[in-house]
Amino acid sequence: MKKQTKDHLVFWLFLAPALISFVVVVIIPFFMGLYYSMTDWTAVADSTPVWVGLENYKSMFSDFAFKYSFIRTFLFSVLSVISINLVALTFAFLVTREIRFKNFYRAGFFIPNLIGGLVLGYIWQFIFKSVVPSIGALLGIDFIENLLLLADPNLTLFGLIFAFTWQYAGYIMMIYVAALLNVPQELLEASEIDGANFWQKLISITIPMIAQAFTITSFLTLVSSFKQYDIIVALTNGGPTDLYQGQVVNSSELLAMHIYNVAFKYNNMAEGQARAIIFFLVLSVVSIAQVYYNKKKEVEM
Amino acid sequence: MAGVKICKLNKIYPNGFHAVKDVNLDIANKEFMILVGPSGCGKTTTLRMIAGLEDITTGEMYIGDELVNEVSPKDRNIAMVFQNYALYPHMSVYDNMAFGLKLKKTPKDEIDERIKKAAKILDIEALLKRKPKQLSGGQRQRVALGRAIVRKPEVFLMDEPLSNLDAKLRVQMRAELIKLHNELQTTFIYVTHDQTEAMTMGTRICVMNDGVVQQVADPRTIYNAPANVFVASFIGAPQMNFFKGKIADTPVVEVASHVFKLSDHMAEVVKNKGKFNAEVIVGIRPEDIKLGNSSEGLPAKVEVTELLGSDLNVYFKIGEKSYIMKTESSSDVKIGDTIYPVFDMNKLHLFDSETEKSLLY
Repeated sequence: MKKQTKDHLVFWLFLAPALISFVVVVIIPFFMGLYYSMTDWTAVADSTPVWVGLENYKSMFSDFAFKYSFIRTFLFSVLSVISINLVALTFAFLVTREIRFKNFYRAGFFIPNLIGGLVLGYIWQFIFKSVVPSIGALLGIDFIENLLLLADPNLTLFGLIFAFTWQYAGYIMMIYVAALLNVPQELLEASEIDGANFWQKLISITIPMIAQAFTITSFLTLVSSFKQYDIIVALTNGGPTDLYQGQVVNSSELLAMHIYNVAFKYNNMAEGQARAIIFFLVLSVVSIAQVYYNKKKEVEM
Repeated sequence: MAGVKICKLNKIYPNGFHAVKDVNLDIANKEFMILVGPSGCGKTTTLRMIAGLEDITTGEMYIGDELVNEVSPKDRNIAMVFQNYALYPHMSVYDNMAFGLKLKKTPKDEIDERIKKAAKILDIEALLKRKPKQLSGGQRQRVALGRAIVRKPEVFLMDEPLSNLDAKLRVQMRAELIKLHNELQTTFIYVTHDQTEAMTMGTRICVMNDGVVQQVADPRTIYNAPANVFVASFIGAPQMNFFKGKIADTPVVEVASHVFKLSDHMAEVVKNKGKFNAEVIVGIRPEDIKLGNSSEGLPAKVEVTELLGSDLNVYFKIGEKSYIMKTESSSDVKIGDTIYPVFDMNKLHLFDSETEKSLLY
């Protein structure tokens, strides 16, 4: 065998396992899903799907629950991204300073990420429902005693963001820690001699130098908050219900849960599939735009 | 414009490492002071303490007349050039130079004027819009200097600024730094481990070892009258030859079985110090050994020769002991030859064998 053909063979041989599994579990289902989203498929045995064209897409855009869910998801994602990144960056600054027990803190902040979303959701449900009011009662502060984050449709989103931040900030912190440790000490010293105080150093040197981390962290937080499902199931399961513009809505039913409910709860597989496709498109556009924007801000050494 | 005065300066790191020990240094205004020594000798730590980047464990430091122990770097009116230049990679050359001035709220047109002027001195006018990664090592070096110049500091601190440049550029930048010092008429404090840089650039040199100042003097004195064995061995290339000897009251110095007669001046000094019959370390620089004929010198065997263009280094052995001498490249010495080296007795250095301090100076 010629060396070139042998190289080719080896190339495809090594690529095959990853390529085949990717095609089988991602590409083929994706196109099957695209097809099913244009039928009236219900996943009931023995019923043949009937082609309905773009009917499912049309009904989706006239469905108030979908629109509402979409807006709530956007709100949740924007606030989560801000909250997680702020908390993570603050933690990262704290644990990269010369403090005692910094490895203990690093591990401590990271551990919530190792707890599964469902378990974590039930823990926080307990905290929001029982611990917070009893602390309020203990302190004699009525505001805290009556604060039922998960029962108030206007506040429930903040409860979710709180729990989600608690889960995810430690993971994002690790990325910031790695980035902060990579900022050359000399640059900070040079800026100190140039006359920069703490905030000027942060804004003019540190933040631009960790732009690469921002690309990664904003991508990860954006995508995972868009797709958030398990914490919500455990915390609120979509509730509580609310009246919005005269319609009954589930105040914390975000897109992933909405799609699940449509497909599996109401058994409208095809409709759920159509919504999932739109969800995919929107998320792709948003995250590609975000990565493109962040990439431009990165510094090459 | 200001001098720097350091009294009894000590630095002990949290892990117990005593990096700088009782350093006293009085650096005059407009001086080009070089801190030189092997790596780990505390010279960079000292410089960083002058900059305010490192806390002072004990001792006092004055810039001008002000005690600066507790003054933060930005209020010391100093500028520092780092070994790796420490240019801000996300800023253009112009912004790198303007950064410090902007923080001080200098008016825009004055910033512009100062940068143009510094760029002209350093010949980097064409580079102002570039980012640091688009520059060569030498250009980055100039920008780092420019960033220091525009701030018009009272003291320039430089931490091995030339060590990342190639040999040719280093020689060129050396000359330019000397020129710059003349032009700016400011105090320079310069850290290096390179003795050539120390000898060529400094108005004074401070030789350090193990956190202790060994000698502070002008380059000529450092070379001709080293205060101890360390200074004598550290400065000068090839290194000074050392050998053990004993002073007899004849007055001669006995080395192995050979006897060298001391010059009258040396005999006088040694006598006054009461070192007759004492064990000493004798030192002689390679260029103070000459080739002689069989009646003048001791027979020696040539082991290696190194041709350096203008000079020829000859490594030879008398008995079991190796020596180096430096002679003209025209001399026809080959490996294996027997030569008769003659030691210039007026240029001998004598050191106490216990304290290693010079007996002569």
